[in-house]
Amino acid sequence: MPLNINLQLILLHWMNLAILTGGLYFLLFKPVKQFMEKREAHYRELENQANDKLAQAEQLKAGCQAKLDAADEEIRQERARAQQAAAQAAQEQITQAEEQARHIIAKAKTEAEQSRERALRESQKEMRELAAKAAKKLAAQPGADFFDQFLDLTEGGGSHEGR
Amino acid sequence: MKQRKKGLVIWLLVVVLLFISALLAGSSGHSESVQEAMRDAVLHDTGQISLFGLTTVTPGMVSALVVTVILLIAAALIRIFAVPRFQFQPGKLQLVLEEAVGLFDGMAKGNSPHRNRFMGAYIFAAGAFIFVGTLFELLGLQAITIHDHPITLPAPLSDVNAAIAMGTLSYLVIVSGAVAAHGPKGILKALKEFSLPISMSFRLFGALLSGLLVTELVYYYTSLSFVLPVVVGVLFTLLHALIQTYVLTMLVALYYGEVSEPAHKTPKANQQADNA
Repeated sequence: MPLNINLQLILLHWMNLAILTGGLYFLLFKPVKQFMEKREAHYRELENQANDKLAQAEQLKAGCQAKLDAADEEIRQERARAQQAAAQAAQEQITQAEEQARHIIAKAKTEAEQSRERALRESQKEMRELAAKAAKKLAAQPGADFFDQFLDLTEGGGSHEGR
Repeated sequence: MKQRKKGLVIWLLVVVLLFISALLAGSSGHSESVQEAMRDAVLHDTGQISLFGLTTVTPGMVSALVVTVILLIAAALIRIFAVPRFQFQPGKLQLVLEEAVGLFDGMAKGNSPHRNRFMGAYIFAAGAFIFVGTLFELLGLQAITIHDHPITLPAPLSDVNAAIAMGTLSYLVIVSGAVAAHGPKGILKALKEFSLPISMSFRLFGALLSGLLVTELVYYYTSLSFVLPVVVGVLFTLLHALIQTYVLTMLVALYYGEVSEPAHKTPKANQQADNA
């Protein structure tokens, strides 16, 4: 045949290539590919696990955030409630203090009034006693000017003309 | 410094001595013309080798068998000693192996997403055969012809029979992909690419033969046998090994993917299917 083409040699080459293909497939290609697939599966598994953990962490974060928000809201409400209670207590104290002050003032006024009346009564009593005492003395001294003596007695015994 | 000069002088003396010896030894008396050398390189009709006493084959056939044995022994050693020690963080050897397997597997998957298991294995083997087979000629292994002459084993694919075998087998793989995907109708789909086995065969043969012829020419003339073979060897062996491996495996993957692609239903077929 032209170019020394030989069917027997071509068939021998086919056989050779078939042996080589099968041998390389079972000895090298398949084991290496299987190992690569195993490693790929391993890293895919790791990636899936990491993704799961990430999702769990995100979920946990969202839960924590919700709890934090709820706590913030609770704190805000508690603070408002406390402020309201404090304001109410302060108002009550102010009211009580005002009431107390009013009482104190009223009591002081009453006492002052009573003191004044007592002092007035006592002074009137003293004046009456003095007047009675003076009248008694005048009555005991005949010929004296009653009016001047009375004045002397009431002013400490000094002469009326001398003033 | 003095010792280095002494070493250099000895080296130069050895080179000159070997050159003079080569000139004085002369040829064996039988010398072939450049035409005969070229003819023999193309046809391999004078350098037949006995295959275990069963039949006579071309040196390319012996090269192909030797390459297969080398590859299978290397694969077996790797399978026994290296693969069980593979780590998730690969070492150098593991990285090279994974890169090679991943390259051909990725090529198969990329070109034929639907059916690629067998094709990946085939193009891996074909790629390894072409690459190692082309580099094999650099070893310069010797064999004895049936006429008791020593002969340097060439690259397997510089034998036209090996190139035809590779091209036709690749075409059969493509046809098998078409049949597997579409049944007997797939043969018709693959047959429209009837020129493929011829083009693939002779592309391989031509590429390898051109390198072989240039190398033969260079070595035929003594004056060209210094320095130049290094450049020629790199150009026509290493580059051919890479380029031809890539070209054939890529073509096989491409055509295999094309013929094994599932048929798209036409709107009419969809309507009939809906009515049914």
